[in-house]
Amino acid sequence: MAERYDLVIVGGGPAGQAAALALEGNGLAIGVIDEQLRPGGQILRQPPREFSVASWMTGKVYAPLLKQLRQFEAATGIDWLGGRSVLGLAPDAGHGFALTVSGRDGVETIRASRVLLATGCQDLAVPLPGWTLPGVYTAGGIQAFVKSQQIVPGNRIVMAGTHPLQLLIAAQIVASGGTVAAVLFAQKRRTMMRQLAGHALKAAREASALLPAGAAMALLQRHRVPVRYGESPVAILGKDRVESLRSTEREIACDAIGLCYGFVPQSALPRMAGADMIAGSRAGGWSTECDAWFRTSVAGLYAAGETTGVAGAAAARTAGTIAGTGIAIDFGLVSEEEATSRVSHARSERARHLEFADLLDTIADPSGHFPRIEAETIVCRCEDVPSATITPLLDGRSANAVKLASRCGMGLCQGRNCEPTLLRLLAGSGRTDEDNGFTARFPARPVMLGDLAAPK
Amino acid sequence: MQNADVLIVGGGLVGCATAWHLARGGAQVVLVEAGDIGMGASGQNAGSLHFQLERRFLENGEALAEQAAQTAALNRLAIDDWRRLETELGADLHVVMDGGLMVAETAEQVAILERKVARENAQGINTRLLDGDEARTLAPCLSPGILAAGFLADEGHADARSVTRAFAQAAAASGASLHSRSPVTSASRIERHFEIGFRESTVRAERLVLACGAWTPILCAKLNLHMPLYPVALQMNATERTGPRIGHLIQHVGRRLSMKQTDAGNILIGGGWPARLASDPRGAFDPAGKPVLIPASLAGNLRAAIDTAPFVETLNLIRTWTGVTAISADQLPIVGEVPSMPGCWVAGGGSAFTLGPTFARLMAQAMVGTPTPELDIVSPARFEHLNSFMG
Amino acid sequence: MRIERRVERQAPFSIIVEGETLPAYPGETIAAVLIERSPTIGRTASGAARGMFCNMGTCSLCMVTLLPEGRRVRACLTPAEPGLEIGLG
Ligand SMILES: Cc1cc2nc3c(=O)[nH]c(=O)nc-3n(C[C@H](O)[C@H](O)[C@H](O)COP(=O)(O)OP(=O)(O)OC[C@H]3O[C@@H](n4cnc5c(N)ncnc54)[C@H](O)[C@@H]3O)c2cc1C
Ligand SMILES: Cc1cc2nc3c(=O)[nH]c(=O)nc-3n(C[C@H](O)[C@H](O)[C@H](O)COP(=O)(O)OP(=O)(O)OC[C@H]3O[C@@H](n4cnc5c(N)ncnc54)[C@H](O)[C@@H]3O)c2cc1C
Ligand code: FES
Repeated sequence: MAERYDLVIVGGGPAGQAAALALEGNGLAIGVIDEQLRPGGQILRQPPREFSVASWMTGKVYAPLLKQLRQFEAATGIDWLGGRSVLGLAPDAGHGFALTVSGRDGVETIRASRVLLATGCQDLAVPLPGWTLPGVYTAGGIQAFVKSQQIVPGNRIVMAGTHPLQLLIAAQIVASGGTVAAVLFAQKRRTMMRQLAGHALKAAREASALLPAGAAMALLQRHRVPVRYGESPVAILGKDRVESLRSTEREIACDAIGLCYGFVPQSALPRMAGADMIAGSRAGGWSTECDAWFRTSVAGLYAAGETTGVAGAAAARTAGTIAGTGIAIDFGLVSEEEATSRVSHARSERARHLEFADLLDTIADPSGHFPRIEAETIVCRCEDVPSATITPLLDGRSANAVKLASRCGMGLCQGRNCEPTLLRLLAGSGRTDEDNGFTARFPARPVMLGDLAAPK
Repeated sequence: MQNADVLIVGGGLVGCATAWHLARGGAQVVLVEAGDIGMGASGQNAGSLHFQLERRFLENGEALAEQAAQTAALNRLAIDDWRRLETELGADLHVVMDGGLMVAETAEQVAILERKVARENAQGINTRLLDGDEARTLAPCLSPGILAAGFLADEGHADARSVTRAFAQAAAASGASLHSRSPVTSASRIERHFEIGFRESTVRAERLVLACGAWTPILCAKLNLHMPLYPVALQMNATERTGPRIGHLIQHVGRRLSMKQTDAGNILIGGGWPARLASDPRGAFDPAGKPVLIPASLAGNLRAAIDTAPFVETLNLIRTWTGVTAISADQLPIVGEVPSMPGCWVAGGGSAFTLGPTFARLMAQAMVGTPTPELDIVSPARFEHLNSFMG
Repeated sequence: MRIERRVERQAPFSIIVEGETLPAYPGETIAAVLIERSPTIGRTASGAARGMFCNMGTCSLCMVTLLPEGRRVRACLTPAEPGLEIGLG
């Protein structure tokens, strides 16, 4: 590890890799930090090195991402700092940043002149009665078990939500020998088709991106997995674990459930650093505001990929290329003119991906489809705060004030799961003034006191 | 234009408690708060109820220590106030007064502790000096490295998240009118009245209470007054929940440390470690800005906690937050009527979580003419020289 | 359920979870080993059964204790190692 890096990239997904590769060979000391042991990010969460998995992620859409991943792994000028979580970052004595980083054997400070945040997104957590029962996961969590750990986390899985990604995940489960009891879309099929048709032109150009969904549908049909539309989960039932899901139409026996209502940017680090944020996607959350070269409002701090808005892996990758090239401008390695021409291809590709992302965002829009929350439904999982505790506090006060009064958002996850729900409740209570959500606090991930007290 | 008997600026603990005392005494009270109730220092603090002399008074010479000891009368009143508070407010505030230990790890610290205990006893505060083993019998979480501890049975802690809200609710129930999200933008004295502007309203009253914590000097400036209160930014830490391990308030005589376990099971660790205050565009300190964490403060605070109660070492830190409070020029609180501006009261500075309920009660009493000699030592009169050129 | 199709794992070792011996394969996260046992990995403050949620390090609902050291880690990010002893709750 370097004494001090010219650039630290947080996140080794498509965006982080692309940025590193855009800068490789320039003589810069670059470190890429990720809490996963291996690079790949969420879309290419790799199996452990110790496994050998034949034909992993063979779909056509993954090919360019896999190619980039292998290039990244082969690159010599980039330090891979896997298995480490970034807890926070702060200006470092007048120059650059000091990142507080925790790993298996303690906390260390990693210094860098510039920092790129490519921390991706996370599943939107959606409360409904019973969602805290063991066996309820985020859809992405189930998928990560399947593609990385090579485990199907249940014998009969129900996927429910509004995001078409659940078709892919269901197909991956089935292809791995697992059983999917049903895939439930809250929205009507008609509405989805209309939205698709409304975007027909653009969608046709991005047909390759739709292919996996088509293939997934076919596979699910072959395995007689019911895919139902206009059917929402109402409650999850079970004594000490999931036993069934009650939907608007029926009760479905199952032992695991994946909730798939879309994704929100990971925003802990940019918010902690004081970067300007804007409202995230239709699903909620906060995106980091950036200029055309992915500079944030904080000097020396950049953000790329889904930290700046959820738009899919391909878009994240182009953003990484542009951000990396922009960072080269700021290091004085390339003129803005030269850089502009270098990324012209990435920019036009990106524009296409963003169109597709907008279509997907429209189709997957969870607003209007959230399950009903009952008085006793837990909103904050960490602190066990039911909606009944929160409702009387919705009198115009801020999210921070509700947090202080109710403990909603005071737990281990730092409010990452409940903040979007709370902000929806606040908005629904007729509050009109802007609310920036919870104040982001150190540490972005829990860390052992002893490690912090004696940093390496 | 609305009229009131008393106008209070600031909806922290001090403002809300004052509103409650005045309102239930029959006064017409209007309280104006810039943000939400209790979201300033009153919602960010450690919740320690410390009645032993604070370490900060012991590290700056004998004169200060002696002067601080003179506030013991206030501490004695505060002990009684806290014991009654949950009943009076009819609220569960997690007030725990099972005692507090101020520990020492070195012979030098033990000597400071001895002098401190003697000073307190002379003022009627019944601190006892325990040796290390006695301290560990009382609080088994303490490290074998602890040589002695000052023990005061009345110390403890309360839930800072709920106390101010409870005062606010009680004040409202007694008829006070509370306006949150209403920054006061103008304040002026017109003959024998004060006029305060916020949002689209103006309120006029004969009495004004400035209870705006670290913002008090800014409000004072609107009235052409100097008030030597300075903003300071402090860091606080919370661990994940754990089973019951710490029953007391734990402090350290030689290192900055306060530790306690909340009702939910989190261990709160603080003790006055600084964060960096934010500044405004002109470069002046900005109490409203988010302070920047100082990593060395964090490490130092956690080190002191681990050295004192080693079991915390393997717990996870889940949050470090910063808060802004006010400290006065001589470290003692400033509470009372401003001599050069009759009718204008200030209350700020010091450990006003512990003492806030008492300040509020005494100010309300003083306003109706009941003598409050305990407030003399903290009166703003001692800084009147600063206002002698303020025309 | 561990996927067998197209996956080759190395020889398993064992870890101890709440006194119970469980097989683990090199490379597996503690979360993977736990989920093969039960989706329940502890209790909430109010005593309700608790499971993991995100499997990507952001929710911290999978916190387990490494024994005898006492360190608390996110199970979904931490690889199992031979001889590891884990406490839940
Ligand atoms: C669980 C999950 C599954 C998904 N599956 C798919 C899919 O199958 N198909 C699809 O098209 N899209 C999927 N998505 C969306 C997908 O994330 C993006 O399309 C793409 O991976 C985004 O690339 P990125 O580089 O922006 O971020 P990511 O690929 O998410 O990479 C971000 C990386 O940053 C790391 N990181 C974040 N915070 C920290 C921190 N504080 N310290 C250290 N490291 C940190 C993460 O471990 C991660 O590896 C998924 C998203 C999630 C959350
Ligand atoms: C981290 C930390 C730990 C602490 N620990 C302890 C402890 O353990 N024990 C203890 O006794 N003390 C402690 N203190 C000190 C204690 O919190 C304060 O002394 C006390 O809360 C002060 O209360 P207050 O009502 O005077 O001020 P505040 O709670 O700060 O309230 C002032 C209010 O005035 C409002 N205001 C400001 N400007 C305007 C305006 N223009 N118009 C309207 N309203 C305005 C603010 O929004 C704010 O709500 C701690 C302080 C901090 C920061
Ligand atoms: S399951 Fe969310 S952090 Fe491990």
